[in-house]
Amino acid sequence: MTDTLPLTGIRIVDLSMGWAGPLAARHLADMGAQVIKVESCTRFDWWRSWEATPEWIEDNGAEKALAYLYVNRNKLDITLDLEDDAGRALLLDLVGRADGVIENYSGGVLPKLNLDYPHLKQANPQIVMVSMPAFGSTGPWAEFRAYGSTIEHSSGLPHLQGSQDDPPVMQHVAFGDAIAGLNGAAAMLTALWHRQKTGEGQFVDLSQAECVMALGVQGILQFSTTRQTPQRYGNHHPDHSPHGVYPCAGDDQWILLQVFNESQWQSLADLSGLNLDAFTDHTLRIKNRRELNELLAKWTSTQSADTLMTTLQNAGVPAAHLKSALDLLEDPHLLAREYLQWLDREHVGLQPHPSPPYRPGAAPVTIRTPAPTLGQHNRAILGELLGQPDTRLQVLEAQGIIGTKPRMP
Amino acid sequence: MPLTGTKVADVSGSVATSYATKLMADYGATVVNFEGGGFMTRDLAPFHPGTQVSAMHGFLQQNKASVSRFATPQELNGFDVVFYDSETTSISCETNTSAISWFGKSGPYAGYNGSDAIIHAMTGLMRGIGPIEGPPIIPSGYEAQIIGGLTAYIGTLGYLLGQSLGNQKPQFDLDTSIWEANLCLTEVGMVAAYNTATVAPRMGINSFPPTYPLGIFPCRDGWLGVTVLTPSQWREFCKLLDIEELLEEPRYHSSMARLADRDLIEPKVLAKLLQFSAEDLFYQGQQARIPLARVPTMEELFNVDQYIARQTFGTVEQGDQQFQAPNVPFRLFSTPPHFGGPVAELGEHNLSWSTL
Repeated sequence: MTDTLPLTGIRIVDLSMGWAGPLAARHLADMGAQVIKVESCTRFDWWRSWEATPEWIEDNGAEKALAYLYVNRNKLDITLDLEDDAGRALLLDLVGRADGVIENYSGGVLPKLNLDYPHLKQANPQIVMVSMPAFGSTGPWAEFRAYGSTIEHSSGLPHLQGSQDDPPVMQHVAFGDAIAGLNGAAAMLTALWHRQKTGEGQFVDLSQAECVMALGVQGILQFSTTRQTPQRYGNHHPDHSPHGVYPCAGDDQWILLQVFNESQWQSLADLSGLNLDAFTDHTLRIKNRRELNELLAKWTSTQSADTLMTTLQNAGVPAAHLKSALDLLEDPHLLAREYLQWLDREHVGLQPHPSPPYRPGAAPVTIRTPAPTLGQHNRAILGELLGQPDTRLQVLEAQGIIGTKPRMP
Repeated sequence: MPLTGTKVADVSGSVATSYATKLMADYGATVVNFEGGGFMTRDLAPFHPGTQVSAMHGFLQQNKASVSRFATPQELNGFDVVFYDSETTSISCETNTSAISWFGKSGPYAGYNGSDAIIHAMTGLMRGIGPIEGPPIIPSGYEAQIIGGLTAYIGTLGYLLGQSLGNQKPQFDLDTSIWEANLCLTEVGMVAAYNTATVAPRMGINSFPPTYPLGIFPCRDGWLGVTVLTPSQWREFCKLLDIEELLEEPRYHSSMARLADRDLIEPKVLAKLLQFSAEDLFYQGQQARIPLARVPTMEELFNVDQYIARQTFGTVEQGDQQFQAPNVPFRLFSTPPHFGGPVAELGEHNLSWSTL
């Protein structure tokens, strides 16, 4: 019995761009699937840039976009102009030899290219196709456009964040992308599992907006069960105090404190050295939370956030330093778990890659290759896999159907 | 259904293990909850009015069986995979296991207290939410655990498929860290910080790099979600709001330049938006290929035509209560998931679980 990466032998055609689809395909690639990303020289992954200029192209900007690099590791990359008959034919040939296709175009794009599921199914009756438009591929909004931010807007989630006086509050510039990406990976695996058992491929429809709803489910359930709009408490907790975010020493340094029981409260009181006799009773801590928070903030503002987190956690008090991206690069826990893996890549040098969050042992799953350059694997896939001779590849390149450098549309 | 015939046990009943196994149950797996003492999800808000019956438990546990005792190792060996929280539960068995915990099984934080808020603090997500001067805002609910459970579903199904393909040994023991699962939201910041030695600043509620206009803005009759990123979207947005004079500034074709001049642009945008209906702008914007959005409240969510058309919400039956909850967001067309479903009473399957 072997113990290679679990998805070894699975081939996925990745037509997705941006964050959501590529993240879904990244999970499959991390687990060993051969993921072949398909771009074109004029319609390259927009995460390389949404403001391309001739100067950017000349400077190899397409190969330096950091967001693109870490979400496309472990993949291969080919270019095909899908608006050209020859490009489309090669894609269908590739689909005929694949197990799955994943895409996150706006609804309507692939049908116009004659590359929607009915066409792919003709090329490969067993293909699994995961389609990830913003609002799903059915319904009156099927062709509406969205970014990850739009997805968050549309999910109801912003009405559950912040306090009653705030507008609806977003959490992230593109919250919906990452969540949809995870669901996209789950969707593909579910359908591949079915295919493995039955030999049947199928179309899988994913709504990115619906993906986010599970994250605000407590509000949805509250309205559904009581017909009442959920209250927004900001950083307070209606039943617990102290509970909030407190300033620490330094610029924009903060610690989260959450006290849920008497033991935690006693530990916090002892460690703070403050006179908290007026707050010994839980109901008093709730009633006088403002005064208590002021006292605690005065104390925490003299403390290092990271040291205080360690001290409080070691004493059993739920606490967390509000870490920055720079903090995470040096975090002792992540270092101990070898969470970041480092791969050298042309144009950008050594780069960090977050490990898959599931691991089959003490060590993380090894990240094998950095993100491919545009069209890096044209010869390997179009030539060796699809059997196109060199002379044909040269013609395709001369016609602009394939290539290794972006062009202005 | 895709997972029919797959036997799954949950012996911890955290939100994360419950969500991972909920996805499996929704797609047909036989999921048995071994609830010695009752799962903690039974204590989670919201509750049905006038009761201590948790609707959150109902959402997470629909379509599963409940056994009101702990499982023996021999019993667990009969399952294809056993989910558990490695911080609260020890298990001994000779089948596949999938552990989900706040920080993973190893490392200096492995014993730390965790919560959804703690995870959001430690991923860096929380730093970016809220007013510039602070304090940052704590996200609500069970988001971090849901993401952890979803991620464990991916890993577990991937490794089960690996076994079926002959790529894996007969037994795996997966370790999923909820913290690491949630870092998917902020990992791009880590990569950027390594390359620039800087951290994106908190820019105020609903304001984030790398673009402007981005956020949730008041209109005449409600809220509008706006994201204008590309030069063509900026052009169409200015036309839509009749602020085409801003197009005369060539720098504003760059999203970062608009963000830098946010204080100059915003008064014009806000004043114009207040003249329009959010509903009208949403449809007109989408027609012009600008990703504008309605921002529905919980009440409005149930009345959005798109979500009604797609049966986004299903009916969960919990005792004599019924309520609406989100269905699985990915739909296999030939083999669809359960849409809603029943919730077992504690111990309902004490005698029948082994024959399910």
